[in-house]
Amino acid sequence: MNSLERIVETLNFSRPDRVPVIAQVFGHAASVAGVPLNEYVRDGQLLARCQLEALSRYGYDAVFSMMDASVEAEAAGCELTYREGQYPAVSRHALAAGGDWDALEVPDPGSAGRMPEMLKALQLMRRELDGEVLVVGCVMGPFTLAAQLLGMEALLFLSVDDPAGLEQLLGYATAVVTRFGREQIAAGAHLPIVFDPASSPAVIPPDFFRAQVLPFLSRVFGDFKAAGAAANWLHVAGPAAPVLPDFTDAGVDIANFDYYINADEAARLLPRVCLNGNIKSVAFVEAGAGEIGQKAGALLEAFDSRGGFMLSSGCEIPPESRPENVAALVRAARAGS
Amino acid sequence: MTNPRIKNLIAALLKGDCPESVAQSRKLIEGGAAPEEIVVGGVEAAMTALDSKCTLEQFNLLEIMLAGRAVTEVMKDLFPDGEKLPSVKGKILVASLEGDIHDLGKNILKMVLTGKGYAVVDCGKDCPLEKLIDTAGMEQPAAVAVSGLITPVIPLVRQVRPQLGQRGLARVKVLAGGAALKQSSAAQLNVDYVAESAFDILHYLDGSMEAQR
Repeated sequence: MNSLERIVETLNFSRPDRVPVIAQVFGHAASVAGVPLNEYVRDGQLLARCQLEALSRYGYDAVFSMMDASVEAEAAGCELTYREGQYPAVSRHALAAGGDWDALEVPDPGSAGRMPEMLKALQLMRRELDGEVLVVGCVMGPFTLAAQLLGMEALLFLSVDDPAGLEQLLGYATAVVTRFGREQIAAGAHLPIVFDPASSPAVIPPDFFRAQVLPFLSRVFGDFKAAGAAANWLHVAGPAAPVLPDFTDAGVDIANFDYYINADEAARLLPRVCLNGNIKSVAFVEAGAGEIGQKAGALLEAFDSRGGFMLSSGCEIPPESRPENVAALVRAARAGS
Repeated sequence: MTNPRIKNLIAALLKGDCPESVAQSRKLIEGGAAPEEIVVGGVEAAMTALDSKCTLEQFNLLEIMLAGRAVTEVMKDLFPDGEKLPSVKGKILVASLEGDIHDLGKNILKMVLTGKGYAVVDCGKDCPLEKLIDTAGMEQPAAVAVSGLITPVIPLVRQVRPQLGQRGLARVKVLAGGAALKQSSAAQLNVDYVAESAFDILHYLDGSMEAQR
């Protein structure tokens, strides 16, 4: 059974040969290849090479064309700060509250910012791994992108001061995300994962999420399915338990859950949705391989009778993680078969 | 504060209604209340009520930021041109360290601490360690609070306490919070306390100040 078949079986709540292991390795692939992170996030060919080398080294079940969280924001006009050894981050927002947002243009993924490089990475990895390993693209959730375009504080105030403006901005962000995601699928992604950290209940109340954010996420996932996505995958960071049950309505097939939520609770809240998680990201930097193996073992045991589980971290495995910890994660999944 | 109108101010602050909060504060002044009374009986009371609402399960930035914005407007109205604020409990330095240009968590902390009577010195985001330590030397704070959203700042966080010690500031508490830092323990970060939220920092400081009395 290859990685792709294993994941499809898991999505169907069937019994694969072993639990798939999805290490959320993005910039860590550059670290283990000795490639500077600020080069990795700008060069699709380099990204693909590092991802393939990391796949070969660790032997997990999916590769990611994920540069950083600011690709769409940059393409839509934000200025980023690039620093050696770090992911770029937004240093100037593209929009200001009270501005005229009627004429905003949706970036063309074929030419805007680093979008073409991400597409190139997907093409290369799909060509190399076709039919064997899951090739994952990545987009930000509309609310997270809106927060980058306007600034988080301004966006939160906008939601109260100008609800119509919020709706307009989320509509624009949705258009950016869906266009980029469709192009990723066309370029070779089996699916784009949607990262939406700003939609966490740590940031916005669950009622706000349901009323203001979920409809746009539903639109994104409907669009991705129509474009041929193999499944819809959502990550909302932090203490997301109050909104997990709502994922089903949005068309989510795979939910990444963070370390705040224990395995039993996640399974209870999403009984028929495939789950992946949830080892603490920082543990891959600070803990030892024994601890990672122990935590992974506990997760495998917790989901043994349920199925529909992919062993993973709760969020990204940080670039500076210890390689032996990533190896321990993979080893646990293989030993659990 | 026994003025029944203070309840209207507290309600407006908790709703995050800026114009109403300022209007209620002005009514209190017109009725003879002193600005200091409004801060203690209204602003601090509202922050206490918000604190009790914000459990781990029901914590969200939106509510806190809306209340924080209203608090800021009322304070500006009561103490224009940066007049000295009353009943300062202690001075706290806040910063996002070099390499981290996210400052939302730091700004939330600033609002919460200011609303509860602390004087906050903001060293900003992307703050070099040297600047933080120099500022601590000048300001002599009770504590330094660092917020971190990204893991690469962890090595810098670990250096804060020893560097304060080298400047004779070992008595200054070092506190940490934010999405990346709160995944680690105080021992791992070499700090006195790791907070889950801004209110956790507040509780720690209040307890610390109480213990020193």
